[in-house]
Amino acid sequence: MAGFETDAPGTTQLLMGNEAIARGALEAGIGFAAAYPGTPSSEILGSLAPVAEKMGMYAEWSINEMVAMEAAAGAALFGIRALAAMKQNGTQVVIDFLGNLVMRGLGGGGLVLVSCDDPSAHSSSNEQDTRPVAKWLDIPLLEPGDFQEAKDMTKWLFDLAEEIDNICILRSVTRIAHARGNVKLGELPKREHRVSQRPPVFRGMPPHAGLHQKLARAQEKFESSPFNCYVGPDKAELLIITGGSCWLHSQEAVKALGVEDRVGILKLGTLWPLPEKFVESHLGKSEKVLVVEEIDPFIEQNVMELVANLPLTGPHPTFYGKRSGHINAYGELNPDMVIKAIASILDVSYAPREAEYAKKADEATRGYVPPRRTGFCPGCPHRATFWAMKNALRLDGREGFVTGDIGCYAMAGGPTGFFQTRTIYCMGASAGIANGLGQLWRFGLEKPILAVCGDSTFFHATIPALINGIWNDSNFTLVVLDNSATAMTGFQPHPGTGMTAMGERTHVISIEAICRSLGARVEICDPFDLKNTTAKLVELVAEGGGAKVIIMRHECELVRARREIPPYRVHVDPEICVGAACGCDRLCTRVFLCPGLIWDEKAGKAKIDEVICAGCGVCVDICPQRAIIKEAA
Amino acid sequence: MVVEIKGSKQLFEEVIGGELCILCGACAGSCPYLVPYKGRIALLDNCTLLEGQCYQYCPRTYIDMDAVSQKIFGMRLNEDEIGVVRDVFLARSADPEIRGKGQDGGTVTTLLSVALAEGLIDGAVVSKMSEDKTPSGFIARNKEELLQSSGNSYEPSPVLEALNRLPKDSDEKLGIVGVPCQVMAVAKMKTYPPRNRVNIDNVKLVIGLFCGWSLADGFHRFLQENLDLSQVVKFDIPHHPGHTFDVYTKSGVKSFELDDIRKFINPACSYCWDMTSEFADISVGSGRTAFRGWNTVIVRTEAGAELLDIAKRKGALETQPIPEESITNLKRASLNKKRRALDSIIEKTGDRNDLLYLGISRSFADKLLG
Repeated sequence: MAGFETDAPGTTQLLMGNEAIARGALEAGIGFAAAYPGTPSSEILGSLAPVAEKMGMYAEWSINEMVAMEAAAGAALFGIRALAAMKQNGTQVVIDFLGNLVMRGLGGGGLVLVSCDDPSAHSSSNEQDTRPVAKWLDIPLLEPGDFQEAKDMTKWLFDLAEEIDNICILRSVTRIAHARGNVKLGELPKREHRVSQRPPVFRGMPPHAGLHQKLARAQEKFESSPFNCYVGPDKAELLIITGGSCWLHSQEAVKALGVEDRVGILKLGTLWPLPEKFVESHLGKSEKVLVVEEIDPFIEQNVMELVANLPLTGPHPTFYGKRSGHINAYGELNPDMVIKAIASILDVSYAPREAEYAKKADEATRGYVPPRRTGFCPGCPHRATFWAMKNALRLDGREGFVTGDIGCYAMAGGPTGFFQTRTIYCMGASAGIANGLGQLWRFGLEKPILAVCGDSTFFHATIPALINGIWNDSNFTLVVLDNSATAMTGFQPHPGTGMTAMGERTHVISIEAICRSLGARVEICDPFDLKNTTAKLVELVAEGGGAKVIIMRHECELVRARREIPPYRVHVDPEICVGAACGCDRLCTRVFLCPGLIWDEKAGKAKIDEVICAGCGVCVDICPQRAIIKEAA
Repeated sequence: MVVEIKGSKQLFEEVIGGELCILCGACAGSCPYLVPYKGRIALLDNCTLLEGQCYQYCPRTYIDMDAVSQKIFGMRLNEDEIGVVRDVFLARSADPEIRGKGQDGGTVTTLLSVALAEGLIDGAVVSKMSEDKTPSGFIARNKEELLQSSGNSYEPSPVLEALNRLPKDSDEKLGIVGVPCQVMAVAKMKTYPPRNRVNIDNVKLVIGLFCGWSLADGFHRFLQENLDLSQVVKFDIPHHPGHTFDVYTKSGVKSFELDDIRKFINPACSYCWDMTSEFADISVGSGRTAFRGWNTVIVRTEAGAELLDIAKRKGALETQPIPEESITNLKRASLNKKRRALDSIIEKTGDRNDLLYLGISRSFADKLLG
């Protein structure tokens, strides 16, 4: 299969939504792309970076979303088309910059922000909706309803951005970003990127008034955009208004119910500003309107606002949607939910499958699926770190409070991290929160405070909080979980890895050198050495005093496993394991919870799942009978 | 009588929450969850077992004294002030090196040394102090290692943790030195032999120490604030005429007012009724003021008598009779401890019929309470 960058205009390729967006950017002739990885956006830059050199462009993983957005805007200032990609959390971070950018314009090059939302927060700490940001900041926003549109909209947004001299946003969601569909490719422009040699000139319009004029020009274009369409009868019993992946759900629902002659679908791709004339021209098709969209009632409220301004003689349909309770007010939608809403409004019955289906499916598959909870991978250094942390804090005895952050270790609030982390907010918040907690000793807080962050998170947003802690002598210990990877999003390089997005060797930014230069006491442990790691943690939390740093350094198991065979062959000696009679109450499989270590119900003893075990050997040190044996592989 | 066994949850509720824990270490070392650390038992994870050896062997959970006495002495509980006595006398080591390092006469170190040399035991579960004078249990297998352990820290040492940590298939013959609560825990283990741990029948010798009280972790912090603990060589409470707690350092002696030290006595010790380690093979205490540099020795069992005979025959131990007056004083002190303990227990429970862990007969309790 050809890559998404293949120079074969007119052919059709099966592309992931994020690849389609990357393709659209290539077809638009971008010269610059920057991003910070975040699900579900990561594959946009992940696709562009490996081909960047070949395509004559530049791509980077930036230290965080703010820098990615600003760097892309910097490129646009001198006439280079630039793209920034991030998940919704990142967009929240860059709002301050965007709010100022829109007041000044771009300078020359088109600038597009791709913001990928994660309805139901499958891989996120929240499910914030990007669309209200566009309305709030006066930024045109499009949302693709399929994979072809993901490409075509991206390409077109660069034209629009340049024409109106304003950043534009492409909103995508998980089911577009991570699903695959057919995309007919367009031309790849043959041009070398040359900067304009004249510095950018910003026109002298009062900024906010000028911005509104830009939006009005965008709206005018949206009125006749091919990204908006109507499908259905001239007169319908129900008009669905939808956009994004809900366009696919709505089509499927109407088809499943067999109500194609009764229900029309108005699909919108240009969501902000709303193409009011276009929408108004279809509102008369039905007395009833159902708005189908994910997360916030963005289309719903804007269409209602439009209707409220129509003359009394105009269409005033009854609205169904999030406000009426027919569509969930939060979370991801699916065709079933849309079917239920339509069936309820039209009073038709629909039984997609027998009521007992879920139960039967569960029973039929149960024997084939190992009972496994959400948790760290076998061999994950985080398991060892949190084990040592748990033991250290239990020994310390003051019920130490651990603030969490964003990464695989966000799971440490659950059984796999022995319930160690107690807060989770945004990137960098662990150390920030710890700054406050670390001052509460003066009001009687006697618990030691620890903040955990990953290596990528350390660079992303933790450094200012650490500096603050050292400056203001806040009493906390920063635990940097350095697995030398941005593991949760797919092992993208970061400042500590000595590698750039385009695969070039570069400076290694040393976490310990940064911390030491700030004057912090810095300790470095290998968490697989449970004994020393525990002892060092006990010592640090007992010491008190201002902010200090302990770096837990052990490479992500998934990165290691790509390169070499496991370090050990591990097995449980059934002669030494005494099972339930041990008195350990199954520490190995009840508490430690590595998926590679399982309980053999028949034998009543622990055993290694050889298929799953990563051979890290950490469990050898937790068995009180020393029944787990490791041998060099 | 069947004694109810509960789990670690109840151990924490009843013993640790009830401020009865004396940090003997009996609950630790046999599971991955309970760890003695800086003057308390830390719980590393929740254990869901409904019955645990931690609860069973704790000397502050219920003890059927008659059953334990039956196991150790082949008879119901002896109700004398200082328990079963085959012989009582004064002793000290004939070895000046041991005398110099021991707390009083070096009798315990000498007895263990003889037992090791004669092959009666292969290892002795004893206590030693770390660089910062935190005591913990270890297994001494020769005289040099024994000498590392001599001397009293006055802080509880969880020596039984070291016993519990021994591999269960070890066939080493063992001696144990402990204070009365630890001797009691070993007696419970002998009465109800543990499963999946080192065979308790391997414990061939239990030497019990006389004990009035031990000091809680606050004492350790007090010392840390007042001295460089790494320079300390010995702690001592000299009898009359002093009322001091003396700390011998490499550069001299530093004395603290005993009353300042008593503040740190572990409150749990007030519920202890055994001063002389009544379930040991041999009990050893100080010779008190009248016989400084000597130990008071009580021989209780046949095993104890055999070891004493060998030690005397080998010339390792010098002995002399103990005056009747000293025995009377010892018995009075021991009886007073029993009475104070019963008073404290009843004050805590508010019920003369609820003696917490102490499974003694009603009539014996009434006799003591007067």
